Amino acid sequence: MTNENTEAAAPEELDLSGTIWAEVDRVLSGVTARPEPGALDLIVHIPPDEVIMGLRRLKTDEALDFNYLRSLTAVDLEEDGMDVVYHLFSTNTKQNLTVKTRLDNDNLAVDTATTVWRAANWLERETAEMFGIRFNGHPDPRTLLMPEDMTDTFPLRKAHPLAEIEILQGEGMGYPEEGE
Amino acid sequence: MNVDLFGGSVNVWLDAFIRLQLIVLLMTVVVMGYTYLERKIVARFNQRVGPQKTGPFGLLQAVADALKLVGKEDLRPRSADPWTFELGPYFVFIPVLMGFVIVPFMADWNIRLLELGLIYFVAVSGLSIIGWVMAGWGSDNRYALLGALRAVAQGISYELPLVLSVIALAMFAGTYNLGLIVEQQDQVPYIVWQPMTAMIFFIAALAELNRAPFDIPVGESEVAGGPFIEYSGIRWSMFQLAEYAAIFVMSIVFSSIFLGGYIWPFGEELGVGFQLLLTGAKALLFFFVIVWIRVSVPRLRIDQLMAYSWKVLLPLTLAQVMVNGLVLVNGWSEVVLLVTGLIGCAALVMITSRAVVRPRMPAMRTAPAMQGEAA
Amino acid sequence: MVATPEVGPPGVGHPEAEFQTQDLLLNVGPQHPSTHGVFRMVLQVDGEVVRDVIPYIGYLHRGAEKLCETMDYRQGIGFMDRTEYLAAFNAELSYVMAVEKLAEIEVPERAQWIRMILCEMNRLSSHFMFMGAFGIDVGVFATPFIYAWKEREQLIDLFEEVSGDRMMYAYFRPGGLAWDVPANFKQRVREVLESTKVGIKDFDGLLTTNEIFRARTQGVGYISAEDAIDWGMSGPSIRASGVNIDVRKDEPYMFYDQIDFNVPTRTEGDVYARYACRMDEMWESVRIIEQCLEKMPDYGPIMPEKMPRMLRTPPGEVYLRTEAPRGEYGIYLVSEGGNRPYRLKVRSACLSNLQALKDMSVGHYMADAIIVLGSIDIVLSEVDR
Repeated sequence: MTNENTEAAAPEELDLSGTIWAEVDRVLSGVTARPEPGALDLIVHIPPDEVIMGLRRLKTDEALDFNYLRSLTAVDLEEDGMDVVYHLFSTNTKQNLTVKTRLDNDNLAVDTATTVWRAANWLERETAEMFGIRFNGHPDPRTLLMPEDMTDTFPLRKAHPLAEIEILQGEGMGYPEEGE
Repeated sequence: MNVDLFGGSVNVWLDAFIRLQLIVLLMTVVVMGYTYLERKIVARFNQRVGPQKTGPFGLLQAVADALKLVGKEDLRPRSADPWTFELGPYFVFIPVLMGFVIVPFMADWNIRLLELGLIYFVAVSGLSIIGWVMAGWGSDNRYALLGALRAVAQGISYELPLVLSVIALAMFAGTYNLGLIVEQQDQVPYIVWQPMTAMIFFIAALAELNRAPFDIPVGESEVAGGPFIEYSGIRWSMFQLAEYAAIFVMSIVFSSIFLGGYIWPFGEELGVGFQLLLTGAKALLFFFVIVWIRVSVPRLRIDQLMAYSWKVLLPLTLAQVMVNGLVLVNGWSEVVLLVTGLIGCAALVMITSRAVVRPRMPAMRTAPAMQGEAA
Repeated sequence: MVATPEVGPPGVGHPEAEFQTQDLLLNVGPQHPSTHGVFRMVLQVDGEVVRDVIPYIGYLHRGAEKLCETMDYRQGIGFMDRTEYLAAFNAELSYVMAVEKLAEIEVPERAQWIRMILCEMNRLSSHFMFMGAFGIDVGVFATPFIYAWKEREQLIDLFEEVSGDRMMYAYFRPGGLAWDVPANFKQRVREVLESTKVGIKDFDGLLTTNEIFRARTQGVGYISAEDAIDWGMSGPSIRASGVNIDVRKDEPYMFYDQIDFNVPTRTEGDVYARYACRMDEMWESVRIIEQCLEKMPDYGPIMPEKMPRMLRTPPGEVYLRTEAPRGEYGIYLVSEGGNRPYRLKVRSACLSNLQALKDMSVGHYMADAIIVLGSIDIVLSEVDR
């Protein structure tokens, strides 16, 4: 889906005039990118096989110069898959950008962003252990916050149960039956 | 054979036994007083109050600590080497007690004034390093081993300025006998003629006692205890006892050789009570300055510490020995010593403040974890 | 030989030396003497020089992000407190501002000024905590700690008067504050500020010009600006390397654009620079608080007129960042309607700062590694959440 199709499809919803979409579009030419205005920053959706190339272009471009990875995380959208979210920042131009990529539930793998910013190292480890996403090429794929042997349970997935607060508080030390 | 003890005449062996028991008793009381005093002084520096509940003004705090330590379980690591682990505290503790033999507390009040008293003192105080190594190695613990090795490096490095400053002073005094040295100071204490020697002796003494800012062996990763990690209860308290007893001995020696001991300012005329007061006051002054330094100054790193000893203190002490020799051989006035000593003190202060500030470049820097291409 | 290495690859010997040596794997364990929390690192040391640092975290992980998915927006505030208990107001601030952004709630002016004052005072108390713990790391026995905590006690007493709690306040609400400040708030803040100024000056005189302190901290733990940006560091740790990023200046929130203050930066990038940056920041915080006190209206609402009883946010997402004392504390909030977050991610400044620990410590002595860890000023509850 190219830029023209997006804007032709829903021109009245996407008012990107105040954002940096023009610049980003120029840098990401050749990469499939779909913009979306967010509450604070511009959000750009890129498919998972092109996302690292897009991120590297965004970092190395001189005008945009997104040299700072603020945050890297994932959102579990249940049937729709998982979103891996990158928040970028430029220390020189003080611009912000959010890059999202949608992974399907049967292929939760994406290339590692540690080749672009070293800051992605621990952030990807945490996302991998919490959601079960595999980051191909990560230099140190151990668990970060979870115990070393807990590699088959992914706590932050929606499928992983967490009891309602009433059960936890009502029974004192009681744990729910279907829980962990 | 009978010797004279406080006016009576007793068997020489009994006399030795009684004197040694008195020393042990004195040392126990003094150490308990020192622990209490240190806590109070540190607290006042920290704008706190310190122990105040156990006994009037918290005076029984040391007793309470001792009782607690006695009641603790005596833990022993299973893989600790039995002989060195057991004997380590004794090897730390006994040389300190032996150092008490030659110190003069008052006129005619001492164990035995040896002719080579100062040499004996320096030799014996160096023996406790063996105890540190035994404790550190025998504990089968990496932190203990590292602490012990640091203690050895530090102890050996600072022996040299200590010994050389003692030799410089003995050259000037003309004798090693501590009693004679004290009696020669009835008009002017030796610190006036040998100020730099006194300063260097003080700094080297701090390092030998493993007190701040030279307490890196005992500050292993900050408050993990160094060689004493695996000791508990009464064994650990023996190390503390040894430390405070060493401070006491060092303070008496320092005041005897530099500050005039029990003689200056008016010791001979005013009698035994005043002499005791003088000794006690000077020892307390030394202790107060040590605690003051501990509470206000950060800790030196091991390489800075050793560089300081070898590159700053040792050359200055050697220079002092040479100046002393020149003055004594040529028969110049002692004022020359005063002037050169003051110049030396100024030089020491200046070199110290410049030497420790120079930044240290790291020895090695890793390459970045990954380059731009895929890892 | 008593010390045998643990599991893990043994260190490489040094073939250029005449005798074969083996590096020692030293475990600076979770029970840590310095007051940083439960943090474990394995140091591979060659004699005294550190060759490798392997940090292990996760001892304080309490699942705040997952738990907040079952809490509504007011219940979640308590969790945000506990993710950064030393600077709890700043943590709460990010969270409530994110909720307000999504729900498009307008916060009354007086509430914003009060929030600013409390957040800056929390920055002061957090930096005092750093100063105290750092003094202990460097080796002074107790004096900097007690000096710093004397001042911090005054600040915490004020916080207790305002919110009822000394450390985990739960005072901010989406829309404003839970209740109004006491009537003598301005006067109390002025009193505390007077005492704090004296306290900062005392502390400055204790350590900053001390030769031994400077010998221990200058030239140690250097990180360059490019490395710091690549690692994603933030806060005083990166400003000490010369990178001038501060969320209060780059993307001003609340009324920071109406306040005149500087952001201290240094270029040396070593431990001393980080310490000095924090010291300067304390003075800047005092300036900010004084200006806020003058501009704050004495009367006014602290919550908007029409606040729903159960706050619901429209679907959307926002990544909102504020400048906490340790760096950039960000909240990434995804909402799908309803009164609970769908996904709440806490972007922790300390986690990103801690990643650079290895770069900063390798090649230094072991005692320096401890000081470098202290200078990054981590609080493990934020690293682990």
